[in-house]
Amino acid sequence: MNNLIKKFRCVNVKSVIAVRHVETNANLLANCIEIRNNNPRNLELMTIARKPEGYTLDNPRSGINYWNKLVVLQTKRSVEAQIHHFRNGPVIKVSSSDWCLRKFLYRTYDVAAYANIGRILAQRCLESGITQIHCNIESERSRKHKVLLSALKKGGLILSEPKTYKHKFAWHMKKSLKPWTV
Amino acid sequence: MASRIFKLLSTTSVNSIQVRHKFSRGKPPTLARSLKQRIAELEHKDPAVHYQVNIGFKLSNYVDKDYKAAYKKLVKENLHNTDLEKLAYANKINVDLDESKQIWLDTTAPYQIYNVANYYGIYKDLYGDAYFYPIIPLTVDYLYSNDIVPRVHRGNIIQSYLAKEAPSVKYFSNPNSLWTLLCTTPDGNFSDPNIEYCHWFVGNIPGNDVANGEQIIDYLRPIPAQGIGFCRYIFVLYKQNTKLDFSEYKKEQPCLNLVDRNWKTYDFMLKHQNDLTPAGLTFFQCAYDNTLKNFYHTVLNMENPLFEYDFVKPYLKPPVWFPKRQPFNIYMDRYRDEKQINKEYLLRKLKKQHPFKFPDPALKYPNAHAIDQNLPSWLKTEMVNERLGLGRIKNYE
Repeated sequence: MNNLIKKFRCVNVKSVIAVRHVETNANLLANCIEIRNNNPRNLELMTIARKPEGYTLDNPRSGINYWNKLVVLQTKRSVEAQIHHFRNGPVIKVSSSDWCLRKFLYRTYDVAAYANIGRILAQRCLESGITQIHCNIESERSRKHKVLLSALKKGGLILSEPKTYKHKFAWHMKKSLKPWTV
Repeated sequence: MASRIFKLLSTTSVNSIQVRHKFSRGKPPTLARSLKQRIAELEHKDPAVHYQVNIGFKLSNYVDKDYKAAYKKLVKENLHNTDLEKLAYANKINVDLDESKQIWLDTTAPYQIYNVANYYGIYKDLYGDAYFYPIIPLTVDYLYSNDIVPRVHRGNIIQSYLAKEAPSVKYFSNPNSLWTLLCTTPDGNFSDPNIEYCHWFVGNIPGNDVANGEQIIDYLRPIPAQGIGFCRYIFVLYKQNTKLDFSEYKKEQPCLNLVDRNWKTYDFMLKHQNDLTPAGLTFFQCAYDNTLKNFYHTVLNMENPLFEYDFVKPYLKPPVWFPKRQPFNIYMDRYRDEKQINKEYLLRKLKKQHPFKFPDPALKYPNAHAIDQNLPSWLKTEMVNERLGLGRIKNYE
């Protein structure tokens, strides 16, 4: 079993390998030197990827320690809820002035608008493979935010992200469970 | 002395005074760049070199005059609708999600699907510097059972055992048009990390009748290897200008030799760029599950591939002869050969085990048993840790 365990390299590691002449699947696996998962979201799903930790003097509650975060932008005319990735910026946007939502609303910035934005955002997130998001909005401050967050929760989103997995070396006292093996 | 005073007086600005930073590394704070600036500089891409090309259909501007007029009219109607007003104040408006989604697909969806596809690096891995807007909504359903019908959206996770059989694919099209459907994965190729596996290839599809298309490569369920995580499985629908001859890609069916499934969408697109235009896109993510073990053994005739993430090795200071305030046993073990340590622990474990007898039951209160107090302290702590399963022993139990 031990000799079967091969090294799986990180996405960024680049190395050139010679493609050998192989015919059967068993040969293919025996000659496999390197395998790479190019999926940029894979390490985040496996909770190995790093989150931005900020600088030494940064406030830890300043809300920068995340992979995906909920951002709510309110203007005089409409409300827009977005999912921001720490590197790629806004990924999913739902605005109350979108035709697919505006058509059914009385006003674009009332409580009903917030509730329906939450429902649609939760659906789009789950369809886009985002099930857990970071959220530093305190729901007690306003009724509208409270309604939005409860709609997101009801839609199946989890409003907290898992911690990054920290690898424990052989001499550490306690074992850490690898989340992707469970 | 006079010359030194003159020198001091001649420097007017603060920045030009030379300050000796004896205890700091690098340039003084006025000259050095911040980490943010340095990262921005590293990640900067020259727009003259790294520009992207649209290889798909042009998006029609959906905000046309009729649409704008209808929008204004309906907004006005809603504002004068007293029933809707009452519902809004009671927070009882429940927008029908299916209807809303259908309107979304007709209006802004291509932009947003493009955003999500970029987030998953789809265009970069399939086409390099090219992209397209998925203007045709593709509905891909895996018909696992009557109750469970997982649908492929934009990166949602579907287990491999649910995707055993070829899915049903639906889209709206002109019955006289011809289409090509491709399902590929750029992740976890065994022969070369830079190429893909083709999981399904149906060419010359008349209209939206996928079953009557020419199946060039048959469907293979997702086979992500154990330990490499979540792989992307990408369905792309291409529109053909004419009937195409795909005989060079045709494989003996069922195609179970993985080398035959090696695929590069970039080369395929380069060859047929005059006849094919990408129009639809959906993709899902899939990780290893236990049903794949049997599939690898019986169908693909290979061992179950097992991979592990290669974590960064810890930095160890160069060893010294007399390490101060370090427990000598732990300190010296860090610099020993890991294999030798493994062997010793394994031998110690096997020594306790009898081949025909049950192992001794675990102690209920392990530290209630006395330890010989004449032993050295490092050995006593090692024995306590061994009983509690702490330290290195945790890896061998």
